[in-house]
Amino acid sequence: MQRIFQIDGEETDCWLGHDGSRFVLNTPTGAVACQLDPTGLPGGYKLRAKGVVRELRLAVGPEVTFVHMDGRTYEVGRVDPAERLAGSDGGASDDRLVAPMPGVVVSVAVKPGDAVKEGQPLLVIESMKLETTLVAPRSGVVAEMPFAVGDSFGLKDILAQLAPEEE
Amino acid sequence: MTISKLLVANRGEIAARVLRTAKARGLATAVFRHVAEQEGPAHLIADEVVMIEGPTPVAAYLDIPQIVEAAKGIGADAVHPGYGFLSENAGFVAALEKAGVTFVGPTSEVIDLMGDKVRARAFVEERGFPVAPSAIEDDDPASFVERARAVGYPLLIKPSAGGGGKGMRVVREDSTLETEIETARREGERYFGDGRLFVERYIERPRHIEVQVMGDGQGNVVHFWERECSIQRRFQKIIEETPSPALTPEQRDEICETAAGIARAVKYRGAGTVEFIYAQDGAFYFLEMNTRLQVEHPVTEMVTGFDLVAEQLRVAAGKGLSAAQADIPQTGHSIELRICAEDATVDFRPAVGDILLLDEPTGPGVRVDSGILDGGKVTTDFDPMLSKLIVHGQDRAQAIALARQAVQDYVILGVTTNTGYLDAILAHPDFASGDISTGFLAEQSETLTAPGEDVSDLLMAAAALSDERLVSEVMQIPEMYRKMGGWRN
Repeated sequence: MQRIFQIDGEETDCWLGHDGSRFVLNTPTGAVACQLDPTGLPGGYKLRAKGVVRELRLAVGPEVTFVHMDGRTYEVGRVDPAERLAGSDGGASDDRLVAPMPGVVVSVAVKPGDAVKEGQPLLVIESMKLETTLVAPRSGVVAEMPFAVGDSFGLKDILAQLAPEEE
Repeated sequence: MTISKLLVANRGEIAARVLRTAKARGLATAVFRHVAEQEGPAHLIADEVVMIEGPTPVAAYLDIPQIVEAAKGIGADAVHPGYGFLSENAGFVAALEKAGVTFVGPTSEVIDLMGDKVRARAFVEERGFPVAPSAIEDDDPASFVERARAVGYPLLIKPSAGGGGKGMRVVREDSTLETEIETARREGERYFGDGRLFVERYIERPRHIEVQVMGDGQGNVVHFWERECSIQRRFQKIIEETPSPALTPEQRDEICETAAGIARAVKYRGAGTVEFIYAQDGAFYFLEMNTRLQVEHPVTEMVTGFDLVAEQLRVAAGKGLSAAQADIPQTGHSIELRICAEDATVDFRPAVGDILLLDEPTGPGVRVDSGILDGGKVTTDFDPMLSKLIVHGQDRAQAIALARQAVQDYVILGVTTNTGYLDAILAHPDFASGDISTGFLAEQSETLTAPGEDVSDLLMAAAALSDERLVSEVMQIPEMYRKMGGWRN
């Protein structure tokens, strides 16, 4: 069965199989026979793979598996390719300005209908005690400014939407 | 005057830390909780949990009338403010005084004085203590830009009413001075309701060294030695230690005595911290005085053996200082790491999530002051600091080794934290040699966030085999197909 794993922003297509005695994770660079056994600690496992045995602590979140191994914590994003296809969304990514971090809107420089040039300031946000000016990702016409001055927004909220480019 | 019931007007790790001492000293204890707030360690320690209301949790913790009413309502005879929130709010102190409730901290006059960076600086300078070259807008607003220019570049713009790095801007070129002044003014207005500014010479590669002081309010003041807090991101500390590796014994005595002198000059009451900027040439200048317990106070407790909250409660009850200067040792070396929910690789972006697994390090010389519980939720309602890891070793090298082991053993799964980043700082040769400044993290950002050994195959194997749905799907495939898998080349 297929999974896409994301580590540090990099995606890897994998296929998990079973050879009758052990699981085998097929990655683009080879097949990894692997085994995971609980150790008794909360979230504790012993992983055997690639000829090594590692003690690790692990927690499975809805989309991300958190792994504590050799004194470091890692995050592995899990994507089911079938679900990604079903849920794929339309719209070009440069149509919108996505919040790089949670924060509050300090000022809004444009309104829907305004024509803007690439690099033109659209709004000023405040996050982590600092002001940041967000600029138009391309030239175009503003379709939506969903947040007003003083509004709070979350990570990845859409702060400005440009009208789709013609053609 | 005695204190028999203490209300802690704060939350998170500091509320828990204050409650522990109060309870150990036999006081009845109470703490707040907002409906949108997760249960934390403080709620398990306090005898009483008082619900506090407000449109946001932060607004509730800033609601002076509500907090004063609550203190009276539950019969608390003293309020400990922790740090942040109302801890340096003179109006809060005055409201408590009026209600006959003891504030565990300095007088409202001293808070007012030290809270106004311009007045504080002038006060300190007039008494002969060292301050950096500067220009104050209020002296003559019309010539402010001109006078700022005369201070020389690089310079630092600060809001007069500021603190905690908010609204501070470094200016290196004359061409950006005026726009940076306007930005700093807007930030000052928004954070502090006060757009007045001042500028001072920005010291290149400075160190931040501060001194813990404690006064009885009658002019008797002792210091509890220094803390070095140069490891900062976005002007906020994330690693603090004591003793400072920069100071010679003579410099240490000089800076600590200067701090105690400043506190004596205001007849300081309670715990306070005098912050200095320390230049590479050994000169140091008064930065500000924080009129409260600091986040990083535990490192001082580790090397002196004193419980600073117990000292605060003692002074608040009018019992004076428990020790003379000669009785306050500085033994061994202590380091504190601030464990924060943030992504150090993406400009320290705050992270949110559910805490799925929490296992804190323990052992000799290891202390954890935590504000979270296993199963809790991390939101952006509050500061991203989750807990503090404090270690105490015989010397600095041993403390670093102990801190590295403890932070590596710290298991927090479910939300991105800075544990790996903190470990990378501790492992850096310049940190080990003590060659650090407040610019260290920015200068070394690439080294500190460099990826480690590639273990992605192991991680993917662990993620695949712990994915119950994936495993059960694999096992449902008839055996002959399972073996072949679906791998396509």
